[in-house]
Order: sequence, then structure tokens, then C-alpha cells
Amino acid sequence: MKVYSRFMESLRSSRFTVSGEIDPPKDANPAEVVEQVEALREHVVAANVTDNPIGDVIMCTLATCVIMQQHGLEPIYQATCRDRNRIALQSDVIGAAALGIRNVLALTGDHPRMGKSRDAKPVFDLDSVLLTRTLSTLRSGRNLSGEELAHAPEFHIGVGLSPGVEPIEAEIIKLEKKIEAGAEFVQTQCIYDEKVLERLREETSHLDVPILPGIAPLRSLGMAKFMLANVPGISIPDEVMRRLESSRDLKETAIDIAAELVSAAKDYGFPGVHIMPVGMHMHVGEIIERSGVR
Amino acid sequence: MIHTRHKPLEEILQMLSGATKVAVLGCGGCVAFYRTGGAAQVRELAEKLGEHLQVVSLGVSNRQCYLCREEELSGLRDAERIRKIARELEGFDRLEEVEAVLSLACGVGVQNLAGLLELPVYPAQNTLFMGRRRVEGDFDIELCVGCGDCVLGYTGGICPVTRCSKSLMNGPCGGVFNGLCEVSRATGEEIPCAWVEIYRRLKKLGRLEELRRIREPRSHAASGIPRRVKVQEGAG
Repeated sequence: MKVYSRFMESLRSSRFTVSGEIDPPKDANPAEVVEQVEALREHVVAANVTDNPIGDVIMCTLATCVIMQQHGLEPIYQATCRDRNRIALQSDVIGAAALGIRNVLALTGDHPRMGKSRDAKPVFDLDSVLLTRTLSTLRSGRNLSGEELAHAPEFHIGVGLSPGVEPIEAEIIKLEKKIEAGAEFVQTQCIYDEKVLERLREETSHLDVPILPGIAPLRSLGMAKFMLANVPGISIPDEVMRRLESSRDLKETAIDIAAELVSAAKDYGFPGVHIMPVGMHMHVGEIIERSGVR
Repeated sequence: MIHTRHKPLEEILQMLSGATKVAVLGCGGCVAFYRTGGAAQVRELAEKLGEHLQVVSLGVSNRQCYLCREEELSGLRDAERIRKIARELEGFDRLEEVEAVLSLACGVGVQNLAGLLELPVYPAQNTLFMGRRRVEGDFDIELCVGCGDCVLGYTGGICPVTRCSKSLMNGPCGGVFNGLCEVSRATGEEIPCAWVEIYRRLKKLGRLEELRRIREPRSHAASGIPRRVKVQEGAG
């Protein structure tokens, strides 16, 4: 199997792989991307670019990815099925590949009703399994209309996983379908509970694909409560809530908690983690250093 | 059956502006069953309209989606046609005066009636969906969008095209929250996740292998509007 990206090269090696995440700005200022890139560049091998989460309009994934490349950070292009039908999705990822993007993450996408564009038309022509298979089809040199592509796009295909949702069996069956459809790596929704890491390990032990648990630093008690109310399947242990409650330096506590989770992920045998810094881009290096994984 | 909701009176009056003598016609089909467009609702609406214009005839027709063969009506004037299709009607004698017809049928009935009459026909209702009344609650729920490519045989008899807010084909999305659709969090309603229901049903039936199979993308060629099908031989 060919390796097209530094990210995949790292996953295939014995190194502990850390991916990050860039939050595109809602305006046309590339400096906001560059700032995040500079904070992450030395600490992660690649970083995801979100696709208008909850349907709130931000800079497009493709432009953000290109700015990242210009500043030396490898992008993982997140494609969702919310706004684009199979024509637009194929066209976009072919274009992304032509611009040198070598990692694509296939997601279903949030319903537009969740955010500020609640009246927008939900597309969902494909779903995450079918988008994954579409990416595989394109890479094999054919499009969904059956036409041959003389120059097939070269990228690695990733998928998401929500490790805390119930029933977990349905989620795992869907992951198995994504792998059958060609998924080569998995990044999960954020995890704050070592028990969830343990269950994830058990539930996926039969799957031969690298899984990177998602870790997002908890900047405050308010953020923790927001996550509990809004992120499906999330659980935050009481002890973590108490530490945030009694913290004298929230930034330090957030870094500590995240670092412990990174370390736990390594102990459970995961090949890396996916850090979603949610505004704490400047501290990703510190999280990794404190975790002792390197 | 077809579920409908009454239009606001102001909108109905707006549509009818210019007409002073109208006929109000309910439908003997779904809307009669659900009591949104039967005899009692016709009377109620006629009373409200009576404050603004003259309702000279009112009644209920047979199912407006299927009234009669067009040839049965050939050569007849509108008043005679209305008499022919009415199941119960008051103001027979004044039908000749009618300037507009207000129908409480669904969109199919209104269009069918409009095609049969020279008079303008207006809808008194908004047509919502095909569904049923939920036995255990106060809701009518949509069950079929008429997608043209039925998958119920693979999904334990629960339609993901209609009942998953994203019409997904291959299992629940990561937004499922305590068995509810993620849209529930935005709207405050308790919308069950169709895929959790499908998973549970298939598991109970011992048919989880249906969930393990990758389902093809839906063909929107089968549901593009406007649709039509050739009448099959022997059909009514």
C-alpha cells in the first residue's frame, strides 16, 4: 500500500502520532490560520480542518488547507455530506488532491438545524460510509459515474467515531462498514474518561486500523458543562469536574488533564491521539510534553 | 393517510378576495378521518368566513383525489359537476351563483378539483405529509416520503429516508443522544433516532446482518419531481 502523506507515514511507523486541528476563521483573514499553524507546526504531524461545524459559516476547508500547506503544516481535509451532493464532493476532493492534499476525513456532518444557518437545506446525498467508498473509488481511478481517471487522486482516507454513544454496537457496525469501504485511519470524538478509552480498545480490538482518540483540553468548568450537554455520548468523570472546580490556574489544569489522557491513550496501546485544541493552540506542545509520550 | 393543517383565516380571505359568493367543500377521505376537512370542519370554517363573505353552498365531496372519470362530467356546467361529486351538500339551488370554491382537501384533492372546474378552486389547508396518528401520544407522525425506492425490507419496517433527519442509509450518525436524533437538541422535541430504532428492531428479529451490509446511495432519479407512472392494466 502506497504512502502519500507524512501523517500516514507516521501512522505506519512505530512513532506515537499526534494530529491537531485548525479552526478556520469566519472571515477572510488568512493570518488567523497562519497563527494556529505556527502554534502547532512543531508539535503535530498533521492537522484537521473542520468543515463548517454545526453549519456555522467559516472559511472553506480547501482554502484553509492550502494556507496551511504554504506555511508548512500538512492538512487533513474534513469533508462532510451536509452541504454537498455526490457531484460537489467528488469535484472538491479531486481539486484538493490536485492542490497536494493527501489526507481526507469523511464525515456525515451536523444537521444544519444545529447552528446559525438552521433554515439551510440539508443535503446528505451520501452518508459517511458512502463518502468513504466514494473516496476509495476515486483513488482507484474511477468516478461514481464509472468514468476512468487517467490521474487518480492520491490521498489517505480517514473516518470519525463517537466512542461514547449508545448503542455502541450500532456505532461499531458502522465503523466496520467504513473500514470495508476503505477507511485507513480513525479519529474519534473527544474523550475525557479513561473508562471510555478502555471500552474503545475492547470494542475495536478486532479491527486492523489505527484509531486516534480525540482529546480536547477543558478550559473551564463552563466548557465541561457545555460539552456534557452538547457532545453526544460524552462523559466527564466527577474527579475531573472537581479539579476544574477547585483549580487556581485553569490553563495549567486543562493542560494537565489533557496530558494525562494523551498518556493514558498510549498506555492503552493506541498509536496516537487527535488533539482538538479549541482555542488552546499555543499549549498543544505543552500538553504533549507533559504527557511524556515522546 | 394524508395529514393537513388549516391555513390561517387571513390567508384564505386574501386568496378569496374579489369573490363574494363561495362554496366550501370538504373531502370524504383522509381529512374527514382526521377531522381536519370533514363536515364539522366545513361548517366551522363557513361560519368564520360568513362574517366576511357569503358561503352559499357547503358540503363534503367524495375523495377529491378520485372523484369520477372525466368523461362522466363532459358537457356539464360547474354547478352540475359539483352536484355530481358532492356526497352531502347544502345550498344546491344556489350553486349557479358561486364565484369560487374553497376546498378542505389535501393538495392532491385541490388540484384534481381545480382541473375539473372552470371556477377558481382554493386550498383551505396546508398539506403536510403521509403518516399516521401515533397511538401513544398527541402527534401525527410522517412515515413515508414516497421516495420511489422502498428500503423497508432491509430496515425492519422503519423508514430511514423519512424518519432519519439526514435520510442516512448506513446506520446512526455520531449525533445520536440518549436514543434521540441530534436535531432534538436544537428544537427541544423528542425525536427518536430512526437508526437506533432500526438497530433494535433488526437485533430483535435476528437480522443484524442487514445493518452490516453497505447500502447503495439512493437514486434521486426515482424521486425527482414531477413524477408520473403509467397506469397498469386492470387498475381502477
